[in-house]
Amino acid sequence: MPQTAMGTLKAEAKDLNFYYGSYQALKSISLPVAEKQITALIGPSGCGKSTFLRCFNRMHDLYPGNRYEGEIRLHPEGINILSPKIDPIEVRMRIGMVFQKPNPFPKSIYENVAYGLRVRGVNKRRILDEKVEQALRGAALWNEVKDRLNNLAFNLSGGQQQRLCIARALATDPEIILFDEPTSALDPIATASIEELIAELKEQVTILIVTHNMQQAARVSSYTAFMHLGEVVEFGETGGIFTNPSKKQTEDYITGRYG
Amino acid sequence: MEPLDTHISRQYNVELENVRSLVLQMGGLVEQQIEQGINALVQGNVPLAEAVIVTDYKVNNFEVTIDEECNQIIARRQPAAGDLRLVLAVIKTITDLERIGDEAEKIARMAVRLAGEERPKNNYMEIHALGTHVRQMVHDALDAYARMDTEAAVRVAQEDLKIDQEYEGVMRQMITFMMEDPRTITRVLNVIWAARALERIGDHARNICEYVIYLVKGKDVRHISLEQMEKEVREGN
Amino acid sequence: MMPPDKGIQVMRAMIVRRKRWDVIFAIVGLFSMLGGVVTLAALIGGMAIDGLPRLSWDFFTSFPSRHADKAGILSAWVGTSMVLLVTALTAVPLGIAAGVYMEEYAAKNWITDLIEINVTNLAGVPSIIYGLLALGLFVYQLDLGQSILAAGLTLAILILPVVIVATRESIRSIPGSIREAAFALGATKWQTVSQHVVPYSMAGILTGVIMGMSRAIGETAPIITIGALTYIAFLPDSPIKSEFPYVSFEWLSSAFTVMPIQMFNWVSRPQEAFHVNAAAAGLVLIVMTLLMNALAIYIRYHFRKRIKW
Repeated sequence: MPQTAMGTLKAEAKDLNFYYGSYQALKSISLPVAEKQITALIGPSGCGKSTFLRCFNRMHDLYPGNRYEGEIRLHPEGINILSPKIDPIEVRMRIGMVFQKPNPFPKSIYENVAYGLRVRGVNKRRILDEKVEQALRGAALWNEVKDRLNNLAFNLSGGQQQRLCIARALATDPEIILFDEPTSALDPIATASIEELIAELKEQVTILIVTHNMQQAARVSSYTAFMHLGEVVEFGETGGIFTNPSKKQTEDYITGRYG
Repeated sequence: MEPLDTHISRQYNVELENVRSLVLQMGGLVEQQIEQGINALVQGNVPLAEAVIVTDYKVNNFEVTIDEECNQIIARRQPAAGDLRLVLAVIKTITDLERIGDEAEKIARMAVRLAGEERPKNNYMEIHALGTHVRQMVHDALDAYARMDTEAAVRVAQEDLKIDQEYEGVMRQMITFMMEDPRTITRVLNVIWAARALERIGDHARNICEYVIYLVKGKDVRHISLEQMEKEVREGN
Repeated sequence: MMPPDKGIQVMRAMIVRRKRWDVIFAIVGLFSMLGGVVTLAALIGGMAIDGLPRLSWDFFTSFPSRHADKAGILSAWVGTSMVLLVTALTAVPLGIAAGVYMEEYAAKNWITDLIEINVTNLAGVPSIIYGLLALGLFVYQLDLGQSILAAGLTLAILILPVVIVATRESIRSIPGSIREAAFALGATKWQTVSQHVVPYSMAGILTGVIMGMSRAIGETAPIITIGALTYIAFLPDSPIKSEFPYVSFEWLSSAFTVMPIQMFNWVSRPQEAFHVNAAAAGLVLIVMTLLMNALAIYIRYHFRKRIKW
């Protein structure tokens, strides 16, 4: 893995362009992602931060007319996960994702968490039990649901559902987890518990998070990238970005001067 | 630093502009205190000295009010970047201004004591000179703050060296006085106190200049040499 | 309290005026609805008055006869059940597969658009046209004869568009986020479709299937077109046998009749007693349809109650 001033890199976007049909949504993006750190992407609506995030697990492959140029290198091997030679399913098995709104399957709590393993052909009850418990503990949900694993996931509160989705992503031991505005549908208390959880997860997994909430980025992340109109305007340590950004656009955005 | 009046929230513009101007008002008051304190001492004007002592509560009120405004801004607006630095710089600046006020009060108290003593032949020339210099420095520091002028801030900070030298000069002179005529010791000690207060005011003014540099450049220039400070300010323009 | 000023009085008068339209529409709507319901109730009521006394165990267990009082609907309801079984077994898998393919797999281009328009239009084609198609294709071309299999396949084609449309609508109502959740965990398209998309849209699909079947149960024209007999005094071969291999497919090629044809036959007789038989058979047919609709409602409720989006 490449070593930099940021420590070990887990992934690296290099000169990445992305097109929705003929519309260029991302323009020549280069961004390092430090291993076992939290990197936040902030920026106004439509700046391409979610689009960029969804390149990391090739979500755009699901819809026709999307095109990538450039590369995202995933370390330690350094493969370009955007290459047509790499199966998007392989990428998604290594890089998990948590979405904006909690989206559990209409199945039991247990089956939700176990699904990623079942996809991989794991069906032994003993292994599933162990992994499900581990993932639910990892998502700080085990104590709340251990007595009702067979209840429907929809019966959980919004915050619990989102933690369930985090457990579902964790169960398969991904190398990176992508968070796409994970708390935008939650109340402040649930938001705080999710943020706490994300901060703890940093110990075991590399995290990339998109957020509308600048304070959230400031609270949880080690590195922050400010995006605007499909470009990364500024990238750096979160502390620096929020006290002394070097670009006027960044300063305008984080101080609420965006017109 | 971006201009303060360009936030999406106009209310926020008003709040930030408000604390900034309150600081300048407080600065103006403190400047006046220094001037009157020195005049009281030099002229032996007791009522003027007492006025300075009484004014100190106004300075303290300013500090409390501005502090509260800043707390409110932090709690409600979560300022970031330049705005955050402004609020932090304001909070620190008013602490120094309040201390300057205290020093001015101290000078006024010395003025009251000295008024009862025999006046020296030179009519406290040395204190008058040092005091005028210090007052000018405070004035320039506040001016740099008002205009967010880092170049000026560096220049003012450099003045502090001269103040220190001048203070050393005054000290030597006072020691000579005491050695020449031990009867003057009580009086001279009071003069030394006043000189010491002026020297401290110079330090506080220098601090304010450092906050101006932090505010504008985002660089912490405390506890480094003046040359280093100058380099930091010139960098990245 | 101050008397309300002029402006408020004007506003109140205006609100009263505008609300008058609510009342007017409620009355118009009520009469429109009563028009439909009363007509239907009168039809069913009239049939019940005529037919109810005729309903007895014998009526269900007797073959048709020249004597009205001995005639029954045994061959008709058995025939209808068997035809519908064939229809369901054919239309459901075909319809779901086609719907899933069009929604999840097919590329979106002008060809699929064209197919989509055609499928929707097929649902509105008169049933006699299907009868003609089936006569040519199943009866003559594939040489299935005038059999239960031919009739079942005919009705299957008839309701196929309904099933396809229901499947597609139902699949479309699944939020994209659920699909993305499955893909994000590394599921393949087949895993996503078979383990999520289809199970979660089952309520809508089954509702569509049963709606289609309710239509098929009453269809007469295509069945007559392929040449169902009106007088059948025997039952098709039983599909279940007492000796190995326990199942038989002889019944598929058997001649048959169905409920609406039996009714039609009785109605066209001059004797009054046969008209009563027809009313009784009609009553049975309506009850069968209502039962199927009730099943559809239950299924929808049962499947939907675990899904909230």
